[in-house]
Amino acid sequence: MTNTWYLYLFFSAALISAGLYALLAKRNLIKLFIAIEVIAKGVSLLLLATGFARNNVLVAQALVVTFIVIEVSLVATALAIIINIYRHTKSLDVRRLAKLKG
Amino acid sequence: MIVQTSLLVGLVLFSVLAILLRDLLKAAVSLAVASLLLGIIFFRMNASYAGVFEISVVAGLITVLFILTIALTNKGEEVRESKLANLVFPLFFVVFIIIDALVMKGLLQKIPALPSSPESGAFGDVLWKGRTLDLVGQIAVILAGVFSVLALFRKRDKHD
Repeated sequence: MTNTWYLYLFFSAALISAGLYALLAKRNLIKLFIAIEVIAKGVSLLLLATGFARNNVLVAQALVVTFIVIEVSLVATALAIIINIYRHTKSLDVRRLAKLKG
Repeated sequence: MIVQTSLLVGLVLFSVLAILLRDLLKAAVSLAVASLLLGIIFFRMNASYAGVFEISVVAGLITVLFILTIALTNKGEEVRESKLANLVFPLFFVVFIIIDALVMKGLLQKIPALPSSPESGAFGDVLWKGRTLDLVGQIAVILAGVFSVLALFRKRDKHD
């Protein structure tokens, strides 16, 4: 069972690292949000794989379902904020958000 | 095992493509494909409800929201990404994968084996009866999301 667990954890760590790198390096707001989604995928894979390895799939599944519901709420809010930022600054560049004056 | 590994490789590949592709629409579609693969992986782990949620909500709804946002903005074509960051990414990723392969097994052995009893009952019992406080938190988060979207898209008054 440890081998399967290792495989899943290996790939979820790869997903999380790719997402973190993009979060640090990219400048487009939508691209940054895609990076957050990639990290979320890694985390949900991690949750379910750990449940699967420990024979607790049902609890892990309940956690993943909760996580997905909260993720949707997060996405809706963040995309609304991105659209509002675009209306204000006419740009999706994250470097233009240095000024606090609305 | 081979099918599962190839699904996982496809998941990482499409996620990396979503990060690397310049066209946001293509990036959103490849993110949806990655979600689809993750949903299939969930199904193969006997987690059918999580798989259904992943495919219908993440691959469906979130992709639609992304495409809607890309349509409402101008794709951020004026944003100039750093070329150095794009060039460094493959190097960083390969180095991370190598370190990951070397270190992860040792890390896993350090995790203490928690006692886990075999589960019984249906998924619905675990989802609704096993949790109490976090359900309240979940409802609060959903309501916060609804109110924030309403507040962000409200019609402005004339004196605003």
